[in-house]
Amino acid sequence: MTTLSRRLLLTGAVTGAAAALPRFALAQGDTRPAITVAVQKLANTNTLDPMREQSSNASERWMGSIIETPIARNQQGHLERVPGLAAAWRRIDDRTVELSLRPGVKFHNGDELTGEDVAFSFGPERMFGPNARGDLPADIPAVGRRYWPALERVEVVDRHTVRFVNATPDVTMEGRLSAGGSQIVSRRAWTEGASWLANARHPVGTGPYKLREFVPDVSMTLDAHDDYWGGRPPLKSIRFLEVPEAAARANGLLSGEYQFAADLSADQIPTIEGAGAFQVLGGLVLNHRIVAFDKHHPVLADARVRLAMAHAIDGQAVVDALWAGRSRVPPGLQWEFYGEMFVKGWTVPPHDPAKARELLRAAGYKGDPVPYRIRNDYYTAEIATAQILAEFWKQVGLNVQIEVKENWSQVLNKAGPRGMRDWSNSATFDDPVSSIVNQHGPKGAQQTNGEWTNAEMNTLSVAMQSSTDMALRKRAFARMLQICEREDPAYIVLHQNAVFTGKPKALPWRAPPSFFLDFGPRNWGA
Amino acid sequence: MLRFLALRLARAGVTIVLVVTFAFVVLRLSGDPALTIMSPDAPPAALAAFRHEWGLDQPVWVQYLRYFGAILHGELGQSMRDGRPAMALVIERLPATLMLTVPALLLKIGLGVPAGIHAALHRNSMTDRVVMAGAVAGFTVPSFVLGLLLVLVFAVHLGWLPSGGDDSWRGAILPVVTLGLGGAGILARFTRSAMLEVLGQPYIRTASAKGVPWRLVVRGHALPNAAIPTVTVVGFMVGTLIAGAVVVESVFSWPGVGRLLVVAVSNRDLAVVQCVLLLVASTMVAANLTVDLLYGLLDPRLRGQATAGAH
Repeated sequence: MTTLSRRLLLTGAVTGAAAALPRFALAQGDTRPAITVAVQKLANTNTLDPMREQSSNASERWMGSIIETPIARNQQGHLERVPGLAAAWRRIDDRTVELSLRPGVKFHNGDELTGEDVAFSFGPERMFGPNARGDLPADIPAVGRRYWPALERVEVVDRHTVRFVNATPDVTMEGRLSAGGSQIVSRRAWTEGASWLANARHPVGTGPYKLREFVPDVSMTLDAHDDYWGGRPPLKSIRFLEVPEAAARANGLLSGEYQFAADLSADQIPTIEGAGAFQVLGGLVLNHRIVAFDKHHPVLADARVRLAMAHAIDGQAVVDALWAGRSRVPPGLQWEFYGEMFVKGWTVPPHDPAKARELLRAAGYKGDPVPYRIRNDYYTAEIATAQILAEFWKQVGLNVQIEVKENWSQVLNKAGPRGMRDWSNSATFDDPVSSIVNQHGPKGAQQTNGEWTNAEMNTLSVAMQSSTDMALRKRAFARMLQICEREDPAYIVLHQNAVFTGKPKALPWRAPPSFFLDFGPRNWGA
Repeated sequence: MLRFLALRLARAGVTIVLVVTFAFVVLRLSGDPALTIMSPDAPPAALAAFRHEWGLDQPVWVQYLRYFGAILHGELGQSMRDGRPAMALVIERLPATLMLTVPALLLKIGLGVPAGIHAALHRNSMTDRVVMAGAVAGFTVPSFVLGLLLVLVFAVHLGWLPSGGDDSWRGAILPVVTLGLGGAGILARFTRSAMLEVLGQPYIRTASAKGVPWRLVVRGHALPNAAIPTVTVVGFMVGTLIAGAVVVESVFSWPGVGRLLVVAVSNRDLAVVQCVLLLVASTMVAANLTVDLLYGLLDPRLRGQATAGAH
C-alpha cells in the first residue's frame, strides 16, 4: 500500500496543476470572436424544428448552423448538392437512394451520427406519428407528407449506410435530402426530451454551432460545436437578436452593438456603406415575388386580361426603383439552380403596353375594377411595389384597386371579390416540383385556396412527380411555364428576391446565395 | 364607503368582461391563427389539424362560451404559438416593461408637473413660452420618431448609449426618456391649465389680499385645487404602465409586454392577447378607482358626494 508522503502529495499537486493548466490555457486562448446578429424575426412559430418552423424569411437564417441535411448545398458556390452528413449517395433504383454516412460525425451531445439517427429523424416519433408519448401535434405528419409525399421507409443497412425507399418513382429524392425537412436530429436527445415541444425548442443536431439558449421572440444564443465534422467553427458564439425595426437594425450595426444586421432593405445600403467601415453583402436568393390571380373573378376569367396585366408591367423599373438594381427580372418561375431542368430562353411576358391594350380590347374589358390584395410590407417594399404596378396597369386602361390587408386570412378570404394578391415562391430543392408543382399544382396553395386550376397543368404535375424520364419531365415543365405564364396565367413573376446583410468590412464573411447566414468554417476567413 | 367600493368594483368587472368580449370577437372574426402561425403555404391537412387541435373549427359562439367558462375556472388558456400558459408568458415579460414604464412615469411627473406649475406662475414670460413649446413638441412628436432621433444622436453618433436591447440598465435610458418626454409634455400642459384656472379664482385673490405670502397661497390653496385634473391624467398614465410602451419596445427591441402584444395580435394568439388585455383593463380600473379615492382625499366635498351617491 502506498503511504502518503509530502513528496507524493507535492507530485500529485504538480501533476494535477499540469493537467489543469492546458485546459485553462485553452479556455484563455479561445480568441475566436463572439458576434451578435440582428434579424427581423427568429421564428414564426416559436419552435426550432423544421417540422413546424418553415419560414424562409426567419428560421432559414440560422437553422443550418444547428441541424443539417444528409446532402448539403454549396453555400460558397451555386447551392449545388455537395457531400454533407452523407459522404456519398447513389441510386439503387428509381425509388431508392442509398446514403453512405460520414463516419465520426458528432452530435452536440457527443453521440456519433449513425443510420439509426437518420431513420429516427424520418420516423413516426418525429415526422409521421403517432409518437410513443402521444404528444406529436396533429399538423406535423401533414407537414411531413408535404416534404416527403411518397416516402415509404428508411432502411438502416449498417451503422453508416441507410436507404430511402419511396413508394413511387421520384427523381427528386436527392434534392429533398438537401432541403428543409430533411435535417437530422439525435435520436437519443429526442427520446430523452421532456416533450415534443421541448424537443422542438431545443434541437440537438450536428451543425457547427449548438443551441445554448432560445428566448422566443427575443434571442437565440449558439456556442461553437468544436467537434464539428467540417472543422473548428470560426466563432466562439453567435447571438441572434430579434430586432423588428429595420432602422433599429441598421443603427445597432453602425453603433457597433451588432456585428451583423440582416434583412436590410435596398434603400438602407447607401446610409450603411456611406459610414465607411461597413459594407452590405448579399443578393439574389431562390425566391421570386409574384402576383397570383384568382381567375374566378369576372374580369380575370378571361386569360387575355391576365396576360395583358403581365405585359403592362415593366419589372425592370421596379428592380431599378426599389432594389437599387440589385435584383433582376427572372426567366419566369424557375432558377438556374434547376440544372438540366432549367428552360433556357424562357422569359416573362415582356413590357409591351400596346399589346396589353390590344389584349384588353379583344377581351372586351370595360374598366371594371379588379381588387388587388396586399399586406402592409410583409414583403420588402410591398406597398411601393403595388403602387408602381397599379400605375403601369392604369396606363393601359386597367382599373386595379389596391386593398391593404392585415393578415393572410384576410388576403385569402373568399368573402367579397377576390382578384389578385401578392405572394412569393421559393425553390426548396433543385427541381421544378419544389416550386411550380408544389405551389401551383393540384396540391399547391393556389389551387387548394380555390384561386386557379388548369386540367392540363394537373396532368403534367403528376408526370413531373412520378416520371423518371428527364427529357419528358423537361418538356412537361416547359409546357407548365407556357400555361401558367402565357396561356392561362396563374401568376405574374415580378422580380427575384434579394436579401441584404450589413457588417463591418473587417469581418471576413461571405454572403451565401441563400437566406442562410452561414457562419461555418468554410464561410469565414480570407 | 364599502358600498361605494363594491359598486365601483362591479362596474370594473363589467368593463373587463366587455373588453375581453370585444377583443375575442374582433380577433376571431378578423384572422385565422392557423394561417398566420403556420403560413399560407402550409398543407391544408396541417392547417385543419391545427385548427382542430385549438378548437378553431368550432363555431365562434362555442369558442366564446368555452373561453369564458375556462376563465371562470381560472384557466386563461395557452398560447397557440408557444404552447405554454398565456399568463405565464405575459408575467414573464412584465418586469421588462415595468423597468421602462415606471421610471418613465416618474420622469413624466417629475418633469411635467414642476414645468407646468412654473409656466403657470410665470404666465406669458419667456420661460412659459419655452416650456410650452417643449411640451407641445414632446407630445406631438411620435414616439418612434423621437426614439430613432435619440438613437441616432446618443447611440450612433456619440456612442454613449446602446441603441436597443435589455442587456444592461443603460439600454433602458433612451426608451425611458422617449416615453417620459411625451408624457411630461402632456402633464405640463394639463398642470399649467389647471394652475391658471385656480390662480384666477376669487379665493386666491382673497388670500393674497389678506396678506398671505404668495408662496403660501400657491402651496396651500393653488396646488391642492389644481391637483385634481393633474391626478386624473396621472391616473390614465398609471393605467398604461402595462401596455403603454408598444411602439417604444419595438423601436428599442425591448422584450416587454408591448412587443408580446404586437406579436400576439398579428398572430391572432387569442389567449395571450386576452391576458394582456385583462392585465391592462385591471390596471386601468385600479388606477381609476385609486384616482376616485384620491379625489376624496384632495377635496372633502367630493368625498361627501361619493358617500352620498353610494347611499
